[in-house]
Amino acid sequence: MLPLILREISFRKGHTTIMLCGLISVTALMTAYLSTESAAERETKRVARDLGFNLRILPKQTDMDLYWFQGFSDQTMPEATVERLANYQGVFMTYNHLMASLRQKITMGGGDVILVGVAPTITSPDKKKRPMGFTIKARTLHLGYQVGQRLGLKSGDTLQLSGHDFKIEKVMVEYGTEEDVYVYGTLKDVQGIAGKPGQINEIKAIDCLCLTADQDPISILRNELEKILPEAKVIQDRVQADARARQRQMVQRKFEFLSPFLMVCGAIWVAVLSALNVRERRSEIGIWRALGKGGGFIAGLVIGKAMIIGFFAGFLGFWVGNTMALEVGPSIFQITAKAIKTEWSYLVWSLILTPLLAAAASFIPAMLAVTQDPAETLRES
Amino acid sequence: MLTCESLCKYYQSSKGMVKSLDEINLSVSKGEFLEVRGHSGSGKTTLLLTLGAMMQPTQGKVVFKGTDLYRLNRAERARVRSSSIGFVFQMFHLIPYLDVVGNVLAGDDGNHSGACSKSEALLQELGLGHRLNHLPNQLSAGEKQRVALARAMVASPDLILADEPTGNLDPENSKEVCRHLKRYQEKGGTVIVVTHGDAVHDFANRTIDLKAGEIIPGPLLDPQSDEA
Repeated sequence: MLPLILREISFRKGHTTIMLCGLISVTALMTAYLSTESAAERETKRVARDLGFNLRILPKQTDMDLYWFQGFSDQTMPEATVERLANYQGVFMTYNHLMASLRQKITMGGGDVILVGVAPTITSPDKKKRPMGFTIKARTLHLGYQVGQRLGLKSGDTLQLSGHDFKIEKVMVEYGTEEDVYVYGTLKDVQGIAGKPGQINEIKAIDCLCLTADQDPISILRNELEKILPEAKVIQDRVQADARARQRQMVQRKFEFLSPFLMVCGAIWVAVLSALNVRERRSEIGIWRALGKGGGFIAGLVIGKAMIIGFFAGFLGFWVGNTMALEVGPSIFQITAKAIKTEWSYLVWSLILTPLLAAAASFIPAMLAVTQDPAETLRES
Repeated sequence: MLTCESLCKYYQSSKGMVKSLDEINLSVSKGEFLEVRGHSGSGKTTLLLTLGAMMQPTQGKVVFKGTDLYRLNRAERARVRSSSIGFVFQMFHLIPYLDVVGNVLAGDDGNHSGACSKSEALLQELGLGHRLNHLPNQLSAGEKQRVALARAMVASPDLILADEPTGNLDPENSKEVCRHLKRYQEKGGTVIVVTHGDAVHDFANRTIDLKAGEIIPGPLLDPQSDEA
């Protein structure tokens, strides 16, 4: 049967080309979309991550009015709190990153600055994600833009605090936020400067809970953390958490919509063309019947043709889609452009799924061909 | 070899019931060349398709080599057609993407050794030796019909059913086709040709006339008339 199908395919070049183009388009778009999808996802996460942390854990006695007013808690809690939180196997509470810090207002160069001591980020052992943020070496400081301007300091200079010399590792660019008056150091150094050894006053956490916006996670979290961190209280950065969730869901929804849409369009395209092909071949089908060929043979001619065209469309569609992803993708997803690469597994899937899609789409036309009364056809013509 | 009893085929049309075949009783012996004549719409093609296991009659039966064809299921009837019946049509019905040899072998299921050489020998015999690799659209009408004849004959079926095989041919090609059918019959095959013309008349052993789905006694067609 294969030689017959191949001869028919090469004989009806116009029909073959149109069907091939339709299937190539679907496969190419799917391949291009999937190839850039991981880059888009990474880009989305990157953007979402930059929105900030979605949980803050503060000492229980924190005066929240003062906290919001000055940007840090006036209370402290033991540094071990973050270790306890990291080791806790929570039911609702999950996290990707935990970062403990001690914040303290000090006067420096005639003005106030917020001194921030940052502990190394703790990454969830389950997530295998790289630590976030920047690393600060002992006895070095990162100055906010405004502090650097006020003190006239630049990278490599030395600053004396509490009788110790600190090297200025970096003066940060202007963020246009309160971070411009921050001075970052290691937690240990800042604890020493502030005279609060072993103390922190904030734990920031990311991706601690995946709840939809219509639920109220804060009371669940508070109940859970109350048991392990009686000295702390939790506030959720709801807006940022929701924004992150919405952004991810949007990407997901876009794909969930696009995939079936493309598949349905491709299937309709193939089905219509197969039906037209069957109509065009009415007398041929009649003569095959007269020659004693059964329904399986007739269906095989229609579905086999679709599958063979689907196979070539799978290959060409992958090639076109992959080229599109490699050529156009980097200009769209600039942050993670290097992550866009040829995904050979998509070639395998294209070679499997495109013929199957074509076969499924040509099933009804094939059944029309099988049930067509050959006598009627031969009598009419 | 082939008999039909009380064969009826009715169609429901917008104008009411159409009797395409009405109480046809017919017996065809092995080695016979039967001509079935009738005007357009007389039921000739319906009779041919019914005899050829292609069209279920409304009532009556068709017995071919001792088997009531319409007691068989579709697949079994298909096997009977494949092994024992060859068809030739007025419009040739060649498969457009197969060359001459491919068309002749179209009905071959691949189980017959030497089918290809047999088909080529048959095509040589039919004067198509120089056209073996041509597509149907590269052939004249006479050549197409000879390819259709070869396709019908290649499996050496017991019965060849030809529906207006000369209907699209000039007189010379018509005679050529009839001669080949006659030769097939003379070699032991059975041939039934339905026609509205008189080209086949001189080659047939027996002629029956069909009018409004019934076999009528005596000559129906005026040899001078060639009404379509």
